[in-house]
Amino acid sequence: MRSIRLLLIGAALVASIAGEPSRSQEVARIPGELVWAIRYDPKTFDPAKVDEQASETIRFFTGGVLLRFDPRSQQPEPELAESWSISPDGRTVSFRIRNGLHFSDGTDLTSRDVAWSLRRVLSPATAAPVAEEFINPQQVTVEALDPQHVIVHLPQRVIGIGKVFDEIAIEPADRPSEGKVTSGAFTVFEYKQGQYVRMKANPNYWKHDATGVRLPYATGIRLDILSNREQEIARFQNGSYDLIESLPPEDFSLLAQKDPGAVRDLGPSLNTEQLWFNQSSHAALPDFEKKWFENRSFRVAISDAIHRSDLAKIAYDGHATPAYDFISPANTMWHSTHLQIPRQDLASAIRMLASAGFVTKGGRLYDATGHAVNFSILTNSGNRARQKMATLIQQDMAALGIDVTVVTLDFPELIERLMHKMDYEACLLGLSNVDPDPNAMANLWRSSSPNHQWNPSEATPSTTWEAQIDKDMDTQAGSPNPLERKRAIDDVQQIVSDQQPFIYLVYPNLLIAVSPRLAGAEPTVFQPGIVWNVTSMRLQGHQP
Amino acid sequence: MSRRFACTFLTLLVLVATVIVAWPGHTYATQDRDAIMAGSSAEHWTGTDDLGRDRTVRVATALLLGLVCAAAASAISTSIAAGVGTVAAFSPGPVASVLMLLSDLFLTLPWLFLLMIVRSSLPLNASPMHSAAITFLILAALGWPACARAVYNGALELRGSDWMIQGRANGLRTGQLVRQYLLPHLRPLLVPQFLLCVPAFLVAEANLGTLGLGVAEPLPSWGGMLLELDSSAMLARSSWVFLPIVLLVSVLLLLECLAYEV
Repeated sequence: MRSIRLLLIGAALVASIAGEPSRSQEVARIPGELVWAIRYDPKTFDPAKVDEQASETIRFFTGGVLLRFDPRSQQPEPELAESWSISPDGRTVSFRIRNGLHFSDGTDLTSRDVAWSLRRVLSPATAAPVAEEFINPQQVTVEALDPQHVIVHLPQRVIGIGKVFDEIAIEPADRPSEGKVTSGAFTVFEYKQGQYVRMKANPNYWKHDATGVRLPYATGIRLDILSNREQEIARFQNGSYDLIESLPPEDFSLLAQKDPGAVRDLGPSLNTEQLWFNQSSHAALPDFEKKWFENRSFRVAISDAIHRSDLAKIAYDGHATPAYDFISPANTMWHSTHLQIPRQDLASAIRMLASAGFVTKGGRLYDATGHAVNFSILTNSGNRARQKMATLIQQDMAALGIDVTVVTLDFPELIERLMHKMDYEACLLGLSNVDPDPNAMANLWRSSSPNHQWNPSEATPSTTWEAQIDKDMDTQAGSPNPLERKRAIDDVQQIVSDQQPFIYLVYPNLLIAVSPRLAGAEPTVFQPGIVWNVTSMRLQGHQP
Repeated sequence: MSRRFACTFLTLLVLVATVIVAWPGHTYATQDRDAIMAGSSAEHWTGTDDLGRDRTVRVATALLLGLVCAAAASAISTSIAAGVGTVAAFSPGPVASVLMLLSDLFLTLPWLFLLMIVRSSLPLNASPMHSAAITFLILAALGWPACARAVYNGALELRGSDWMIQGRANGLRTGQLVRQYLLPHLRPLLVPQFLLCVPAFLVAEANLGTLGLGVAEPLPSWGGMLLELDSSAMLARSSWVFLPIVLLVSVLLLLECLAYEV
């Protein structure tokens, strides 16, 4: 009797669960609509207040902008602006707006709307994150000369100012609508928290293809909010999703076995994975350890002994590229092609250590004062690739007679040790680079910066090479001459390669999946990745 | 399943694991970088893991390490429980209340978070073996209160028994009474408690390991190896990834069976 009662309770429970609408339930596709998943809900639909990836994705699809970064040329290209120019002193930016532009509700788009949108972003009341890129936003003035001309006056030259206008959506003056009335390719149509964001094509979008057909080809976009990667892959496989923006290596390999035509390895991304030693003078480390980490020969020897090709092959299933530089080869404009890279040779590493006074006794490495060399590598728990790399490096270091301990900590604790307590020996982490311009990494390289991770917030540069990096970063930030900027950045790349403050390990490759039914996709490693040309993408069989 | 069967099977497993670990050749840390996630072969009987390490040796090491550490932690935990429970039973009322309050306080602690905090505040250069020892010591330090309550109630009952009164009347001191009379009578309570704690600690370590906070690499542990089951891509590559979970469940069943039969 008891078991029957339990069975009934169980059945009732199952029935009640089944009766509830599931959060991950699939939604029917509107004909011609493109569908894929993003990880989490956008925090805002106001294009001026975007400060995270999901909101930025929405802004990219809905916001019409004056200039748009073209991943092919790595330059900002005219969009709503027909043409643009910067004065020789870099303090005046002029735009000529295209003729006959309309918002999605049919109203005209003029220089008044442009000036209003720019002023709104610059206003402290809006607290727009993008305003910081003007360096001194309160002193920037915007002037609408006539319905087609807008001039922006800057208090000082801003390097890469063109790209800043790619982040400012032009909205109807005095009528901000959180993406509902836009000058971009799509408008926000429906949002169900935790389920999906649906956008529909802007019927008044200005762009046409070569044959005169108005873009976008797709009738709309639905972005499902889905953090479960297994579900995302399953839905891609059953045709519910048209693309996956980024795949982990093991899932990529699995999908490649089942559907080789659907997956693509785009080669090295802009992101880097690196190892560095704690060289901070405030570090909670014994003096003899600090001396190892400050010793260039020690760092270079460690770098030489790491088998980067094994890291790429094993930790990333072959979908990563060995790295020796902070600028990925994918960033063709800035990557230095004539960099002298370390030799990746155990024998040279041993010679280098011997020349610095280290000795090997009984298979263990000792420094000149007789201390056995050992250190711990800290990395974050939950990142399997990093844990694998740390364990592989552990074995590489054993060949030098160095005993390495791998420690995984949850992220908040790791950051606490890294940024506040300075209580670590070596750390293995990655850096996501969204902006290809190296000026965006200035806070990493300047010795006074709190993000100068191997030795943060130095009052004055503690070494001559750090002083030289500071000087080069000043040069590239202040020079209007692209060649001079490139020379300065090349110099930083060579110094970093010589000194190894960061031992670069790999560039993880960008792995994506694109449905064979999706036509027009031209994926790139630059943000926003596959969908940068979404206006030209369409499902095969659907006629615009 | 009889106790004898469980005992024999466990002994057999431990013996086989010991032979595998002691056998010259692969160690649990040796990486064969040309044989990543390799299948079964003469060299690697149950294949290799995602770093090319011999799975048989790693599973055998994890089994021995888990059993030895969990048994040691369980012995410590049961001893603390026996000590606290007995002292409380033979102490004046207020002392007993304080001791039991202390054990109740321990019971209410969010042990997983506490473990994470303690684990993350350990010295970074603690060797993998030390990290294993410390992980199980923490488990032992947190595992005694429930048992202490049971011991307290048992000892309290025994304290008023006729033979204890007889012993006291014969002039035996409290220490002698406890050693000669009480502990032998508490044995039926302490032995199952010890046997129940062993699988509980094994599972606790496995949970910590799946959070990446248990025994440090390259030392193998149940938790670390169960991480392989996290991804369906890994499951598709080799059926041998199920070996640790199959063996862990078998060991847990055998231990539970042993405790139940006692």
